[in-house]
Amino acid sequence: MPPTTLENATCTFCGCVCDNIGLEADGDRIVKTKRACGLGEAWFKNHTAERLYPDALIDGKPASVDEAVEAAADYLYQANMPLVYGLSNITCEAQRKAVALAELVGGVVDSHTSL
Amino acid sequence: MGGKVTCTLGEVKNRADLIIYWGGNPADCHPLHFSRYTLNAKGKHVPQGRKGRTMVLVDVRETPSVRFSDIFLQVRPGKDFEVVTTLRALLKNRPVDEARVAETGLTLEQLQNLVDRMKNARFGVLFFGMGLTMTRGKHMNSAAVLTLVAELNAFTKFVSMPMRGHGNVTGADVVMRWTTGFPFGVNLSRGYPRFNPGEFSTIDVLVRGDNDAALILGADPGATMPQPAIDHLARIPTIVLDPKLTHTSRLARVHITTATTGISAPGTAYRMDEIPLPLKPILKSPYPTDEEVIRRIYEKVKVKPAWSPAAYAKVPCA
Ligand code: SF4
Repeated sequence: MPPTTLENATCTFCGCVCDNIGLEADGDRIVKTKRACGLGEAWFKNHTAERLYPDALIDGKPASVDEAVEAAADYLYQANMPLVYGLSNITCEAQRKAVALAELVGGVVDSHTSL
Repeated sequence: MGGKVTCTLGEVKNRADLIIYWGGNPADCHPLHFSRYTLNAKGKHVPQGRKGRTMVLVDVRETPSVRFSDIFLQVRPGKDFEVVTTLRALLKNRPVDEARVAETGLTLEQLQNLVDRMKNARFGVLFFGMGLTMTRGKHMNSAAVLTLVAELNAFTKFVSMPMRGHGNVTGADVVMRWTTGFPFGVNLSRGYPRFNPGEFSTIDVLVRGDNDAALILGADPGATMPQPAIDHLARIPTIVLDPKLTHTSRLARVHITTATTGISAPGTAYRMDEIPLPLKPILKSPYPTDEEVIRRIYEKVKVKPAWSPAAYAKVPCA
């Protein structure tokens, strides 16, 4: 189980990336923040761990993650030039894998920096 | 353009006595920037905190940040490049045309005063935001500001730093730099990286319709991009990984829900000064992390025959 209180959590809502945020969780939601600004507090409180959405959708219909991963791999493999875009709200570890995937399928990889 | 003269926010906190924000509204967009890193922080060599620092705000309109500043310079929209160029000329004691300066909305005295303050600072820092980099002149404005700051180092210590928005956009730059050599907009379709902003940037690729599939990671271009780009995303197979169902998810062929970065997914994120910080999740998500889903897609593709003999695969997916 993850902890229910944290003294030095990191907020990734804006580029300040404050790493001194106190958090208190109750079940699947964060109920209290310390030292965060208004934006950070909303960020932490609005992202619960509830199951609000289907695991995956294929053509708008609920599907399992396995099926969706398979479909995604097929689409990317068949494409001549896929685009991998975003990357700004994911971890560095995920970004690194996204670059590896872009190389594997021979595509363009780009972030919000290009806007 | 050369390199950027920069430093960490810790150095800003401990040393900066002149702080310039250009084309940004930190009071609203980076609310704790003042107190943690700049104005109000007490630093080793700025023990008085706010009293030991001067803040200059340059922007095209009055924002809530104005009331934090000592000097507010309101530039006419689209005239930032002219202002920076004038500052560079004044720095080198070159003659400038007063009438042309007036077109920027500022007076020669205001700019001379700013140059004097810059030269006389012990440690100056210029933070620049999207009001500079996304308006007329765009990357030419960034280049001009970086050059101005580099040239100031003939007189005193001066650094610059972009005010980055979204949580880990800095991380995206850093990761792409060390894996491909370029910070964004990298085309790997020949099996080696090519970089050409304006050609391989997402908006251009989508509007021209160059790509025939899209993998969207924690972004919502379906809500923010120009309509031709959105139409193209709806036409091709689009795959979305996101903690929420986004506009893009609704036009995509595949959506996979993932855990929220930093709240229920662990890892690393970069602060705007390129300091990596650990993310400590406090909640346990019912969904997999982006990292895990990308790895699983990678492994599924990896077992298929390579699309080119040279293709397999230099960037490790460890
Ligand atoms: S707490 Fe506020 S200032 Fe700090 S990273 Fe989060 S949103 Fe930004």
